Amino acid sequence: MDESTSVTAPPDRADRADRAERMADLLDAAKGGSEDALGQITAELSPMLWHVARAAGLGADDAEDVVQTAWERLLAHLADIRAPQALVSWLVVTTKREAWRTRSSGRRQRPADQEWLTAIPDHAPGAEEQIVLDEQQRALWRAVGRLSAQCQELLRIIAFIPRPDYQSVSAALGMPVGSIGPTRGRCLQKVRALLADEPDGRRA
Amino acid sequence: MRSRDGAQDQPMDDLDFEILDGVRALFERVDPMPAELPERVRFALAMRGLESEVARLVAEEDPRLVGARGTEQSRTVTFDSASLSIVIRIEENKNGSVRIDGWLAPPAPRDIEMQTSAETLSGSSDEQGRFAFAEVPTGTARLVVLRAAPRDQGSGGHSVVTPALVL
Repeated sequence: MDESTSVTAPPDRADRADRAERMADLLDAAKGGSEDALGQITAELSPMLWHVARAAGLGADDAEDVVQTAWERLLAHLADIRAPQALVSWLVVTTKREAWRTRSSGRRQRPADQEWLTAIPDHAPGAEEQIVLDEQQRALWRAVGRLSAQCQELLRIIAFIPRPDYQSVSAALGMPVGSIGPTRGRCLQKVRALLADEPDGRRA
Repeated sequence: MRSRDGAQDQPMDDLDFEILDGVRALFERVDPMPAELPERVRFALAMRGLESEVARLVAEEDPRLVGARGTEQSRTVTFDSASLSIVIRIEENKNGSVRIDGWLAPPAPRDIEMQTSAETLSGSSDEQGRFAFAEVPTGTARLVVLRAAPRDQGSGGHSVVTPALVL
């Protein structure tokens, strides 16, 4: 199936249209040399890139460096970016590539693959555990923790990508066109099955 | 739970979006982006946009100082650019701000800005290249040694900017 037809229209479509228009305006202004516009774009999209870098298994310091590098590379390529969707996919792909380079360079030996996943003890929060999750969130956390590394990375990334940008991002991620779709479907289906097994269940 | 057997490439439904929203909320809680990262990026990009010499950090007493990570006590930092060396000493004031004492080499009177996320402080160096900012708010900041006046261009025709520091 063509991925473009597999994403249902979000209910708050008007908000998203506003957002796309605003990002297009900011992009134009940034190309014109507006530091303020570029600052607004970085403020809006840096969280997404942080999660892309962390999902790739980078430690926190490396992830920060990779996000900064992605933005610096964008500055050099700003003129080539024609639309906000292209902006998001360009940034995601560049961040992934930089993350991969950092990891494979062996610059920092780091046993911290998926370290974030152990940030929350599975069942019994330790004394130092500061993050309080409600039961529904814990159930989701446990479910995500049982996914394959590939599914964990994929779901974490797409959870942070603005929905209108799914298609261009999946096309740009270097996979055969559309393959992020079935993979995403498998990953989501697995989460649904795991959640359904939770004692108090999740509404279906 | 609705069955989705064999439906792996079907359109995402409301529950899928709900799950993704939940995943997003979880990671925002569990592993949030460091709050200062966008500011660090903004500084890095602004620096690139300026037609300036970018000073390179060449020595620091505290390796945590540069790179927007963490804060420490008093320290001395040295930057080099093609035309200028800048040494600054950073000391904590009682009121939580910091005092910056700096030296330019070669010594020259130059206008100097301390650009912080809150405000830009202006000062200048004397004939011996000394300058000081008595109270600088903590946070991300960078030092800009402005272009020398045309009559003094022998001592530097470019602005010199340092990388972002965390004070």
